Amino acid sequence: LNGQINRRRKWDIGKLIYMDNISPSDCLKRWRGEEDDDESDMELEQEEDEQFFQKKDEKNTASQDYEGDLEKFVPYFDTIEKLVQKWSNIDAIKDRFIGAPDFGA
Amino acid sequence: MSSRGSYVVFSGSQNFRLRLILATLSGKAIKIEKIRSNELNPGLKDHEVSFLRLLESVTNGSAIEISYTGTTVIYRPGIIVGGSVTHNCPKGKPVGYFVEPMLYLAPFSKKKFSIIFRGCTASSEDAGIEAIKWGLMPVMEKFGVRECALHTLKRGSPPLGGGEVHLIVDSLIAQPLTMHELDRPTISSIRGVSYSTRVSPSMVNRMIDAAKKVLKKVGCEVNISADVWRGENSGKSPGWGITLVAETKKGWSFFSEQIGGAGDVPEDIGTLAAYHLLEEVSKSAAVGRNQLPLALVYMVIGKEDIGRLRITREQIDERLVGLLRDIKLVFGTEVFLRPVDHDNTDDFIATIKGIGFTNTSKKIA
Repeated sequence: LNGQINRRRKWDIGKLIYMDNISPSDCLKRWRGEEDDDESDMELEQEEDEQFFQKKDEKNTASQDYEGDLEKFVPYFDTIEKLVQKWSNIDAIKDRFIGAPDFGA
Repeated sequence: MSSRGSYVVFSGSQNFRLRLILATLSGKAIKIEKIRSNELNPGLKDHEVSFLRLLESVTNGSAIEISYTGTTVIYRPGIIVGGSVTHNCPKGKPVGYFVEPMLYLAPFSKKKFSIIFRGCTASSEDAGIEAIKWGLMPVMEKFGVRECALHTLKRGSPPLGGGEVHLIVDSLIAQPLTMHELDRPTISSIRGVSYSTRVSPSMVNRMIDAAKKVLKKVGCEVNISADVWRGENSGKSPGWGITLVAETKKGWSFFSEQIGGAGDVPEDIGTLAAYHLLEEVSKSAAVGRNQLPLALVYMVIGKEDIGRLRITREQIDERLVGLLRDIKLVFGTEVFLRPVDHDNTDDFIATIKGIGFTNTSKKIA
Protein backbone atom coordinates (compact mmCIF):
# COMPACT_ATOMS: atom_id res chain seq x y z
CA LEU A 1 0.00 0.00 0.00
CA ASN A 2 2.81 2.35 0.84
CA GLY A 3 4.35 1.90 -2.53
CA GLN A 4 1.07 2.81 -4.12
CA ILE A 5 0.79 6.04 -2.22
CA ASN A 6 4.28 7.04 -3.16
CA ARG A 7 3.64 6.32 -6.75
CA ARG A 8 0.54 8.46 -6.65
CA ARG A 9 2.20 11.43 -5.07
CA LYS A 10 4.73 11.59 -7.81
CA TRP A 11 2.30 12.95 -10.40
CA ASP A 12 2.77 16.59 -11.19
CA ILE A 13 -0.35 18.10 -12.68
CA GLY A 14 1.63 20.56 -14.77
CA LYS A 15 3.22 17.68 -16.65
CA LEU A 16 0.16 15.42 -16.69
CA ILE A 17 -1.88 18.04 -18.49
CA TYR A 18 0.42 17.92 -21.48
CA MET A 19 0.86 14.17 -21.69
CA ASP A 20 -1.21 13.67 -24.80
CA ASN A 21 -1.28 9.90 -24.54
CA ILE A 22 -3.40 10.09 -21.40
CA SER A 23 -7.03 11.15 -21.67
CA PRO A 24 -8.00 14.22 -19.63
CA SER A 25 -10.16 12.25 -17.23
CA ASP A 26 -7.39 9.70 -16.64
CA CYS A 27 -4.78 12.31 -15.94
CA LEU A 28 -7.05 13.95 -13.39
CA LYS A 29 -7.66 10.59 -11.77
CA ARG A 30 -3.96 9.96 -11.48
CA TRP A 31 -3.37 13.39 -10.09
CA ARG A 32 -6.09 13.05 -7.49
CA GLY A 33 -4.86 9.58 -6.69
CA GLU A 34 -8.08 7.79 -7.51
CA GLU A 35 -7.06 5.27 -10.11
CA ASP A 36 -9.53 2.87 -11.59
CA ASP A 37 -7.87 -0.31 -10.50
CA ASP A 38 -8.95 -0.46 -6.85
CA GLU A 39 -12.00 -1.43 -4.86
CA SER A 40 -14.82 -0.70 -7.23
CA ASP A 41 -13.44 -3.16 -9.72
CA MET A 42 -12.99 -5.89 -7.15
CA GLU A 43 -16.66 -5.87 -6.35
CA LEU A 44 -17.59 -5.98 -9.96
CA GLU A 45 -15.35 -8.90 -10.75
CA GLN A 46 -18.09 -11.53 -10.81
CA GLU A 47 -20.35 -9.80 -13.25
CA GLU A 48 -17.43 -8.28 -15.01
CA ASP A 49 -17.13 -10.71 -17.89
CA GLU A 50 -20.24 -9.73 -19.76
CA GLN A 51 -20.95 -6.29 -18.51
CA PHE A 52 -17.56 -4.75 -18.08
CA PHE A 53 -16.99 -3.56 -21.58
CA GLN A 54 -20.45 -2.18 -22.00
CA LYS A 55 -20.27 -0.31 -18.75
CA LYS A 56 -16.92 1.19 -19.44
CA ASP A 57 -18.00 2.37 -22.85
CA GLU A 58 -21.03 4.07 -21.47
CA LYS A 59 -19.03 5.74 -18.79
CA ASN A 60 -16.43 6.99 -21.21
CA THR A 61 -18.77 8.50 -23.73
CA ALA A 62 -20.94 10.08 -21.06
CA SER A 63 -18.03 11.71 -19.34
CA GLN A 64 -16.53 12.86 -22.61
CA ASP A 65 -19.75 14.39 -23.76
CA TYR A 66 -20.33 16.19 -20.56
CA GLU A 67 -17.16 16.88 -18.66
CA GLY A 68 -14.58 17.66 -21.26
CA ASP A 69 -16.45 19.56 -23.88
CA LEU A 70 -16.31 23.31 -23.89
CA GLU A 71 -19.15 23.31 -26.38
CA LYS A 72 -21.31 23.02 -23.32
CA PHE A 73 -21.09 26.30 -21.50
CA VAL A 74 -22.64 25.35 -18.20
CA PRO A 75 -20.19 23.47 -15.97
CA TYR A 76 -20.99 20.34 -14.07
CA PHE A 77 -22.92 20.60 -10.82
CA ASP A 78 -23.92 18.02 -8.25
CA THR A 79 -27.60 17.28 -7.83
CA ILE A 80 -29.69 19.76 -5.92
CA GLU A 81 -30.07 17.40 -2.95
CA LYS A 82 -26.32 17.22 -2.45
CA LEU A 83 -25.92 20.95 -2.87
CA VAL A 84 -28.65 21.72 -0.33
CA GLN A 85 -26.91 19.46 2.12
CA LYS A 86 -23.49 20.90 1.41
CA TRP A 87 -24.58 24.50 1.74
CA SER A 88 -26.92 24.16 4.69
CA ASN A 89 -23.96 25.74 6.42
CA ILE A 90 -21.97 28.29 4.47
CA ASP A 91 -19.04 28.69 6.86
CA ALA A 92 -16.67 27.29 4.25
CA ILE A 93 -17.13 30.30 1.97
CA LYS A 94 -18.20 32.86 4.55
CA ASP A 95 -14.88 34.68 4.25
CA ARG A 96 -15.49 35.29 0.55
CA PHE A 97 -18.37 37.65 1.23
CA ILE A 98 -18.40 41.12 2.74
CA GLY A 99 -21.63 41.71 4.55
CA ALA A 100 -23.36 43.21 7.52
CA PRO A 101 -22.15 41.61 10.75
CA ASP A 102 -24.32 38.84 12.09
CA PHE A 103 -26.29 40.06 15.07
CA GLY A 104 -27.16 36.60 16.21
CA ALA A 105 -30.36 36.43 14.24
CA MET B 1 2.54 28.11 -48.26
CA SER B 2 2.46 24.40 -48.75
CA SER B 3 -1.03 23.12 -49.13
CA ARG B 4 -0.53 19.87 -47.29
CA GLY B 5 0.89 19.03 -43.95
CA SER B 6 0.74 22.58 -42.67
CA TYR B 7 -2.42 22.14 -40.64
CA VAL B 8 -2.77 21.79 -36.95
CA VAL B 9 -4.89 18.66 -36.78
CA PHE B 10 -7.65 18.07 -34.24
CA SER B 11 -9.96 15.17 -33.95
CA GLY B 12 -13.48 14.91 -32.61
CA SER B 13 -16.32 17.34 -32.21
CA GLN B 14 -15.41 18.66 -28.79
CA ASN B 15 -14.24 22.24 -28.30
CA PHE B 16 -15.35 22.93 -31.86
CA ARG B 17 -15.87 26.64 -31.50
CA LEU B 18 -12.82 27.13 -29.35
CA ARG B 19 -10.54 25.44 -31.87
CA LEU B 20 -11.79 27.62 -34.69
CA ILE B 21 -11.35 30.71 -32.53
CA LEU B 22 -7.80 29.76 -31.59
CA ALA B 23 -7.04 29.17 -35.26
CA THR B 24 -8.44 32.57 -36.19
CA LEU B 25 -6.44 34.34 -33.50
CA SER B 26 -3.22 32.57 -34.36
CA GLY B 27 -3.70 32.75 -38.10
CA LYS B 28 -2.89 29.06 -38.45
CA ALA B 29 -4.84 26.69 -40.64
CA ILE B 30 -6.50 23.82 -38.82
CA LYS B 31 -8.10 20.58 -39.80
CA ILE B 32 -10.71 18.95 -37.62
CA GLU B 33 -11.21 15.28 -38.35
CA LYS B 34 -13.55 12.57 -37.21
CA ILE B 35 -16.42 14.83 -36.30
CA ARG B 36 -19.00 12.39 -34.93
CA SER B 37 -17.71 9.80 -37.36
CA ASN B 38 -18.99 6.93 -35.22
CA GLU B 39 -22.45 8.25 -34.69
CA LEU B 40 -25.67 7.43 -36.47
CA ASN B 41 -25.91 11.01 -37.58
CA PRO B 42 -22.32 11.78 -38.54
CA GLY B 43 -20.72 15.08 -39.34
CA LEU B 44 -21.37 18.69 -38.54
CA LYS B 45 -24.63 19.77 -37.05
CA ASP B 46 -26.68 22.71 -38.28
CA HIS B 47 -25.52 25.03 -35.59
CA GLU B 48 -21.88 24.24 -36.26
CA VAL B 49 -22.24 25.02 -39.95
CA SER B 50 -24.04 28.19 -38.96
CA PHE B 51 -21.13 29.08 -36.71
CA LEU B 52 -18.70 28.54 -39.57
CA ARG B 53 -20.77 30.93 -41.68
CA LEU B 54 -20.70 33.52 -38.93
CA LEU B 55 -16.94 33.15 -38.71
CA GLU B 56 -16.69 33.60 -42.44
CA SER B 57 -18.72 36.79 -42.29
CA VAL B 58 -16.65 38.47 -39.58
CA THR B 59 -13.33 37.60 -41.23
CA ASN B 60 -11.89 38.42 -44.61
CA GLY B 61 -10.14 35.79 -46.68
CA SER B 62 -11.11 32.73 -44.67
CA ALA B 63 -11.43 29.48 -46.51
CA ILE B 64 -13.56 26.68 -45.19
CA GLU B 65 -13.70 23.24 -46.73
CA ILE B 66 -16.14 20.65 -45.50
CA SER B 67 -15.87 17.06 -46.65
CA TYR B 68 -18.79 15.26 -48.29
CA THR B 69 -19.76 13.48 -45.12
CA GLY B 70 -19.21 16.55 -43.00
CA THR B 71 -16.85 14.73 -40.71
CA THR B 72 -13.78 16.75 -41.70
CA VAL B 73 -13.38 20.50 -41.80
CA ILE B 74 -10.40 22.43 -43.02
CA TYR B 75 -10.28 26.03 -41.95
CA ARG B 76 -7.76 28.58 -43.16
CA PRO B 77 -8.37 31.78 -41.27
CA GLY B 78 -8.23 35.22 -42.80
CA ILE B 79 -8.02 38.45 -40.88
CA ILE B 80 -10.69 39.53 -38.44
CA VAL B 81 -12.61 42.42 -39.93
CA GLY B 82 -15.80 42.63 -37.89
CA GLY B 83 -18.28 45.22 -39.08
CA SER B 84 -22.07 45.17 -39.08
CA VAL B 85 -23.54 41.73 -39.59
CA THR B 86 -26.87 40.08 -38.94
CA HIS B 87 -26.85 36.45 -38.01
CA ASN B 88 -29.88 34.22 -37.87
CA CYS B 89 -29.28 31.45 -35.36
CA PRO B 90 -30.66 28.04 -36.25
CA LYS B 91 -33.17 26.29 -34.04
CA GLY B 92 -31.68 24.26 -31.27
CA LYS B 93 -28.92 26.64 -30.31
CA PRO B 94 -29.52 30.00 -28.69
CA VAL B 95 -27.76 33.26 -29.47
CA GLY B 96 -25.39 32.68 -26.55
CA TYR B 97 -23.72 29.84 -28.45
CA PHE B 98 -22.72 32.30 -31.16
CA VAL B 99 -22.10 35.41 -29.09
CA GLU B 100 -19.73 33.72 -26.66
CA PRO B 101 -16.97 32.87 -29.18
CA MET B 102 -17.31 36.30 -30.80
CA LEU B 103 -16.10 37.82 -27.54
CA TYR B 104 -12.71 36.20 -28.12
CA LEU B 105 -12.34 37.84 -31.53
CA ALA B 106 -14.14 41.15 -31.29
CA PRO B 107 -11.46 43.30 -29.60
CA PHE B 108 -8.83 42.31 -32.17
CA SER B 109 -10.71 43.22 -35.26
CA LYS B 110 -10.15 45.77 -37.98
CA LYS B 111 -13.52 47.42 -37.64
CA LYS B 112 -15.81 47.53 -34.64
CA PHE B 113 -18.09 44.58 -34.08
CA SER B 114 -21.79 45.25 -34.33
CA ILE B 115 -23.69 42.03 -34.82
CA ILE B 116 -27.38 41.39 -34.52
CA PHE B 117 -28.25 37.83 -33.58
CA ARG B 118 -31.76 36.51 -34.09
CA GLY B 119 -33.12 33.36 -32.53
CA CYS B 120 -33.62 31.87 -29.10
CA THR B 121 -32.13 33.81 -26.23
CA ALA B 122 -31.95 31.07 -23.63
CA SER B 123 -31.18 27.40 -23.23
CA SER B 124 -30.14 25.15 -20.42
CA GLU B 125 -26.63 24.53 -21.68
CA ASP B 126 -25.44 27.67 -23.39
CA ALA B 127 -24.68 31.15 -22.18
CA GLY B 128 -27.72 33.30 -21.52
CA ILE B 129 -27.90 37.02 -22.26
CA GLU B 130 -27.28 38.08 -18.67
CA ALA B 131 -24.52 35.54 -18.27
CA ILE B 132 -22.67 37.21 -21.13
CA LYS B 133 -23.47 40.73 -20.02
CA TRP B 134 -22.62 40.30 -16.37
CA GLY B 135 -20.44 37.24 -16.36
CA LEU B 136 -18.20 37.36 -19.43
CA MET B 137 -18.03 41.06 -20.22
CA PRO B 138 -16.58 41.91 -16.79
CA VAL B 139 -13.76 39.47 -17.57
CA MET B 140 -13.15 41.30 -20.85
CA GLU B 141 -13.10 44.58 -18.98
CA LYS B 142 -10.37 43.29 -16.71
CA PHE B 143 -8.29 42.59 -19.79
CA GLY B 144 -8.77 46.09 -21.18
CA VAL B 145 -11.82 45.65 -23.40
CA ARG B 146 -13.92 48.37 -21.82
CA GLU B 147 -16.50 49.27 -24.38
CA CYS B 148 -18.59 46.25 -25.04
CA ALA B 149 -22.30 45.81 -24.69
CA LEU B 150 -25.02 43.34 -25.42
CA HIS B 151 -28.41 44.90 -25.94
CA THR B 152 -31.51 42.80 -25.66
CA LEU B 153 -33.92 44.01 -28.30
CA LYS B 154 -36.31 41.09 -28.01
CA ARG B 155 -36.34 38.06 -25.82
CA GLY B 156 -37.23 34.70 -27.26
CA SER B 157 -37.58 31.62 -25.15
CA PRO B 158 -37.12 28.12 -26.52
CA PRO B 159 -38.39 26.28 -28.47
CA LEU B 160 -39.64 28.88 -30.96
CA GLY B 161 -37.36 31.74 -30.08
CA GLY B 162 -38.01 35.01 -31.86
CA GLY B 163 -35.49 36.96 -29.83
CA GLU B 164 -32.97 39.52 -31.00
CA VAL B 165 -29.79 40.75 -29.36
CA HIS B 166 -27.21 43.27 -30.50
CA LEU B 167 -23.55 42.73 -29.68
CA ILE B 168 -21.41 45.84 -29.81
CA VAL B 169 -17.69 45.86 -29.11
CA ASP B 170 -16.24 49.31 -29.58
CA SER B 171 -12.80 48.93 -28.04
CA LEU B 172 -10.23 47.75 -30.50
CA ILE B 173 -7.02 46.94 -28.73
CA ALA B 174 -3.67 45.67 -29.90
CA GLN B 175 -3.48 43.00 -27.24
CA PRO B 176 -5.08 42.21 -23.89
CA LEU B 177 -3.52 43.57 -20.72
CA THR B 178 -1.25 41.32 -18.73
CA MET B 179 -3.15 39.87 -15.82
CA HIS B 180 -1.83 39.63 -12.28
CA GLU B 181 -4.45 38.30 -9.95
CA LEU B 182 -2.98 36.47 -6.99
CA ASP B 183 -5.82 36.84 -4.51
CA ARG B 184 -9.29 35.57 -4.08
CA PRO B 185 -11.39 38.70 -4.46
CA THR B 186 -14.08 39.28 -1.86
CA ILE B 187 -17.68 39.45 -2.92
CA SER B 188 -19.46 42.66 -2.02
CA SER B 189 -22.92 42.12 -3.40
CA ILE B 190 -25.14 39.70 -5.22
CA ARG B 191 -27.18 40.95 -8.11
CA GLY B 192 -29.53 39.14 -10.36
CA VAL B 193 -32.20 39.26 -12.97
CA SER B 194 -35.27 37.13 -13.08
CA TYR B 195 -37.05 37.36 -16.39
CA SER B 196 -40.12 35.97 -18.05
CA THR B 197 -41.62 36.03 -21.52
CA ARG B 198 -45.28 35.44 -22.14
CA VAL B 199 -46.01 34.08 -18.68
CA SER B 200 -47.48 35.60 -15.56
CA PRO B 201 -45.13 38.03 -13.75
CA SER B 202 -45.80 36.13 -10.55
CA MET B 203 -43.35 33.46 -11.75
CA VAL B 204 -40.61 36.05 -11.70
CA ASN B 205 -41.33 37.09 -8.15
CA ARG B 206 -41.57 33.53 -6.96
CA MET B 207 -38.10 32.81 -8.35
CA ILE B 208 -36.72 35.94 -6.69
CA ASP B 209 -38.19 35.02 -3.33
CA ALA B 210 -36.83 31.49 -3.45
CA ALA B 211 -33.35 32.63 -4.45
CA LYS B 212 -33.30 35.31 -1.77
CA LYS B 213 -34.31 32.80 0.84
CA VAL B 214 -31.22 30.71 0.09
CA LEU B 215 -28.86 33.66 -0.23
CA LYS B 216 -30.07 35.36 2.96
CA LYS B 217 -27.61 33.47 5.11
CA VAL B 218 -24.65 34.75 3.11
CA GLY B 219 -25.11 38.10 4.80
CA CYS B 220 -24.23 40.43 1.95
CA GLU B 221 -26.53 42.60 -0.06
CA VAL B 222 -28.80 40.70 -2.42
CA ASN B 223 -30.57 42.59 -5.15
CA ILE B 224 -32.49 40.70 -7.81
CA SER B 225 -34.53 42.62 -10.30
CA ALA B 226 -37.60 41.50 -12.17
CA ASP B 227 -37.70 41.74 -15.93
CA VAL B 228 -41.04 40.87 -17.41
CA TRP B 229 -41.41 40.93 -21.19
CA ARG B 230 -44.77 41.34 -22.84
CA GLY B 231 -46.19 41.68 -26.30
CA GLU B 232 -44.27 41.82 -29.55
CA ASN B 233 -40.81 41.86 -28.03
CA SER B 234 -41.22 38.79 -25.91
CA GLY B 235 -40.72 36.25 -28.66
CA LYS B 236 -42.84 33.33 -29.69
CA SER B 237 -42.74 31.01 -26.69
CA PRO B 238 -43.46 31.28 -23.00
CA GLY B 239 -40.43 30.97 -20.80
CA TRP B 240 -38.70 32.20 -17.69
CA GLY B 241 -35.36 32.05 -15.96
CA ILE B 242 -32.98 33.62 -13.50
CA THR B 243 -29.34 34.71 -13.52
CA LEU B 244 -27.46 35.43 -10.31
CA VAL B 245 -24.16 37.30 -10.19
CA ALA B 246 -21.85 37.64 -7.21
CA GLU B 247 -19.90 40.85 -7.71
CA THR B 248 -16.59 41.90 -6.24
CA LYS B 249 -15.18 45.37 -5.74
CA LYS B 250 -12.24 44.45 -7.93
CA GLY B 251 -14.44 43.88 -10.95
CA TRP B 252 -14.48 40.10 -11.06
CA SER B 253 -17.79 38.35 -10.84
CA PHE B 254 -19.14 34.85 -10.47
CA PHE B 255 -22.46 33.80 -11.87
CA SER B 256 -24.98 31.04 -12.23
CA GLU B 257 -28.05 30.80 -14.37
CA GLN B 258 -31.05 28.61 -14.68
CA ILE B 259 -34.04 28.49 -16.98
CA GLY B 260 -37.45 27.02 -16.39
CA GLY B 261 -38.88 24.34 -18.61
CA ALA B 262 -42.26 22.69 -18.87
CA GLY B 263 -43.40 21.37 -15.52
CA ASP B 264 -40.78 23.20 -13.45
CA VAL B 265 -41.77 25.10 -10.35
CA PRO B 266 -40.38 28.66 -10.14
CA GLU B 267 -39.35 28.17 -6.51
CA ASP B 268 -37.19 25.20 -7.48
CA ILE B 269 -35.49 27.09 -10.25
CA GLY B 270 -34.74 30.06 -8.00
CA THR B 271 -33.38 27.78 -5.29
CA LEU B 272 -31.29 25.79 -7.74
CA ALA B 273 -29.74 28.93 -9.22
CA ALA B 274 -28.87 30.18 -5.74
CA TYR B 275 -27.22 26.92 -4.72
CA HIS B 276 -25.32 26.80 -7.99
CA LEU B 277 -24.01 30.27 -7.27
CA LEU B 278 -22.76 29.20 -3.83
CA GLU B 279 -21.14 26.13 -5.33
CA GLU B 280 -19.53 28.15 -8.10
CA VAL B 281 -18.15 30.66 -5.60
CA SER B 282 -16.69 27.83 -3.56
CA LYS B 283 -15.00 26.44 -6.66
CA SER B 284 -13.57 29.69 -7.99
CA ALA B 285 -10.66 31.85 -7.07
CA ALA B 286 -10.62 34.84 -9.39
CA VAL B 287 -12.86 33.55 -12.17
CA GLY B 288 -15.65 31.01 -12.33
CA ARG B 289 -15.33 27.81 -14.29
CA ASN B 290 -17.36 29.19 -17.17
CA GLN B 291 -15.18 32.31 -17.39
CA LEU B 292 -11.89 30.48 -17.21
CA PRO B 293 -11.48 29.67 -20.93
CA LEU B 294 -11.98 33.31 -21.91
CA ALA B 295 -9.52 34.54 -19.29
CA LEU B 296 -6.87 31.97 -20.19
CA VAL B 297 -7.11 32.59 -23.94
CA TYR B 298 -6.75 36.33 -23.34
CA MET B 299 -3.70 35.62 -21.23
CA VAL B 300 -2.15 33.45 -23.91
CA ILE B 301 -2.53 36.09 -26.61
CA GLY B 302 -1.22 38.82 -24.32
CA LYS B 303 2.08 40.67 -24.37
CA GLU B 304 5.32 38.75 -24.14
CA ASP B 305 5.21 38.94 -20.42
CA ILE B 306 4.23 36.61 -17.63
CA GLY B 307 0.58 36.77 -16.66
CA ARG B 308 -0.67 35.20 -13.46
CA LEU B 309 -4.13 34.11 -12.46
CA ARG B 310 -5.23 32.34 -9.33
CA ILE B 311 -7.32 29.23 -9.84
CA THR B 312 -8.61 26.61 -7.44
CA ARG B 313 -7.90 22.93 -7.32
CA GLU B 314 -11.49 22.16 -8.37
CA GLN B 315 -11.11 24.23 -11.49
CA ILE B 316 -8.55 21.80 -12.84
CA ASP B 317 -11.02 19.51 -14.56
CA GLU B 318 -11.45 17.80 -17.90
CA ARG B 319 -12.56 21.02 -19.53
CA LEU B 320 -9.43 22.82 -18.44
CA VAL B 321 -7.13 20.01 -19.53
CA GLY B 322 -8.81 19.93 -22.94
CA LEU B 323 -8.52 23.69 -23.23
CA LEU B 324 -4.85 23.76 -22.29
CA ARG B 325 -4.02 20.96 -24.71
CA ASP B 326 -5.77 22.77 -27.55
CA ILE B 327 -3.96 25.99 -26.67
CA LYS B 328 -0.65 24.16 -26.75
CA LEU B 329 -1.39 22.60 -30.11
CA VAL B 330 -2.17 25.92 -31.71
CA PHE B 331 0.08 28.39 -29.90
CA GLY B 332 2.74 26.09 -28.49
CA THR B 333 2.35 27.73 -25.09
CA GLU B 334 2.22 25.80 -21.86
CA VAL B 335 0.65 26.88 -18.64
CA PHE B 336 2.74 26.56 -15.53
CA LEU B 337 0.81 25.75 -12.37
CA ARG B 338 2.41 26.75 -9.09
CA PRO B 339 0.75 25.89 -5.79
CA VAL B 340 -0.05 28.79 -3.49
CA ASP B 341 1.78 28.16 -0.26
CA HIS B 342 1.35 31.26 1.86
CA ASP B 343 -2.19 30.39 2.94
CA ASN B 344 -3.93 27.14 3.69
CA THR B 345 -5.91 26.86 0.47
CA ASP B 346 -5.35 24.34 -2.28
CA ASP B 347 -5.15 27.04 -4.91
CA PHE B 348 -2.74 27.33 -7.78
CA ILE B 349 -1.31 30.25 -9.67
CA ALA B 350 -1.62 29.63 -13.38
CA THR B 351 1.35 31.34 -14.99
CA ILE B 352 1.26 31.97 -18.71
CA LYS B 353 3.72 33.74 -20.95
CA GLY B 354 1.87 35.67 -23.62
CA ILE B 355 2.79 34.93 -27.20
CA GLY B 356 3.19 38.59 -28.06
CA PHE B 357 0.20 38.59 -30.34
CA THR B 358 -0.54 41.93 -31.93
CA ASN B 359 -3.72 42.92 -33.56
CA THR B 360 -2.45 42.74 -37.11
CA SER B 361 -5.83 43.38 -38.61
CA LYS B 362 -5.85 46.84 -37.09
CA LYS B 363 -2.31 47.76 -38.08
CA ILE B 364 -2.63 46.91 -41.73
CA ALA B 365 -5.74 49.02 -42.13
